[in-house]
Amino acid sequence: MRYTHPRTELAPYLRGDLSAAERERVARHLEGCARCRADADAYAAVLKAIAFESAAISEPDWTDYRAEIHRKIAARRAPVSPERARWKLSPRLAWTSIAAAGAAVAAIVLLLMLGPRPEPGGAPPVEQLAMEDAIGAADVGLLRDYPVVEHLDLLENYDVIEHLDEFAPADTTNEKRS
Amino acid sequence: MVVQSDEELCRKVAEHDAAAFEALLGRHQARAFRLACSILGSEADARDVSQDAFIRLFESAGKFDGRSRFSTWFYRIVVNLCIDHKRRNKWWRRMVSFSNPDDDPDSPPVDPPSSEPGPEAAAIGAQAGRRLRVALEGLSPAQRAAVLLQTDEDLSGREIAEILECSESTARVHIHRALAHLKKTMKEPDR
Repeated sequence: MRYTHPRTELAPYLRGDLSAAERERVARHLEGCARCRADADAYAAVLKAIAFESAAISEPDWTDYRAEIHRKIAARRAPVSPERARWKLSPRLAWTSIAAAGAAVAAIVLLLMLGPRPEPGGAPPVEQLAMEDAIGAADVGLLRDYPVVEHLDLLENYDVIEHLDEFAPADTTNEKRS
Repeated sequence: MVVQSDEELCRKVAEHDAAAFEALLGRHQARAFRLACSILGSEADARDVSQDAFIRLFESAGKFDGRSRFSTWFYRIVVNLCIDHKRRNKWWRRMVSFSNPDDDPDSPPVDPPSSEPGPEAAAIGAQAGRRLRVALEGLSPAQRAAVLLQTDEDLSGREIAEILECSESTARVHIHRALAHLKKTMKEPDR
């Protein structure tokens, strides 16, 4: 059987972690192999450097350290707030939220896919395009009756959208005349 | 007074014995912290992670089945938490470049505050330490843990294998690769 260099056995050899037979075999190899001897010497130096570096680690104040552990354990055992508990204990509420978010995403995707494309030739202003996309694409007929959505930034204000019915329709006669 | 073994204390912790937990904490806090510090390379992270290991011990001491030594079981928790921590923070470390001059191999050596053992020797020592830390950063978490368990904890290959949950030959390969990488990196001249 061909005997290869005992590379993975060098560290256990240095630590005295090999069986007598293994130790004997590695020692015999080292006598005749300058490369493995050099590796073993280098490994010993590296192990010594690591041990030296580890010894230089400064220790924390153990009283503080232990007190912090007890505080963390106490925090984990503390009862959760009623509001958090309601969310935590109510999977139905969580699923409802996820479903609502999913529906909103689907509506946005539909809005983007089914929205009218700009007609060739014309180059309407960007504001107008955005307005048409927002109003014309989805089934939001109610919104068409309210010039209040002229400013798209209002769409980010959900409170305004929720209460659109409460806004009085603006008088557009002057605009039509002009 | 009869000194209780770690294993006995752990069984008592499972029965919510606060004194037993304090005893285990006192016995293992320094080793857990040092091991985490060696693996993570940061005292702040080591503090958090080693404390988390004790919290795990407090909460799941009942899972210790006594088939291995308590220290093997507990250090497996520490090492696994360190490895998780390193993996979680890997992307972050890549994004953020730390401004600590100690970590910058191009920065000039820092003058030591004391003249003992001599400014030049201290600077050389600091440079070697910095090189070693940089070289350790290049190891995989398992390689780093394996070599540090051997040097810091003086554990045998079999014990390291138990902690890393691998075979003894795999643990030997981890240590060999780690040492080969460290030897090569530390030999390279400063960039």
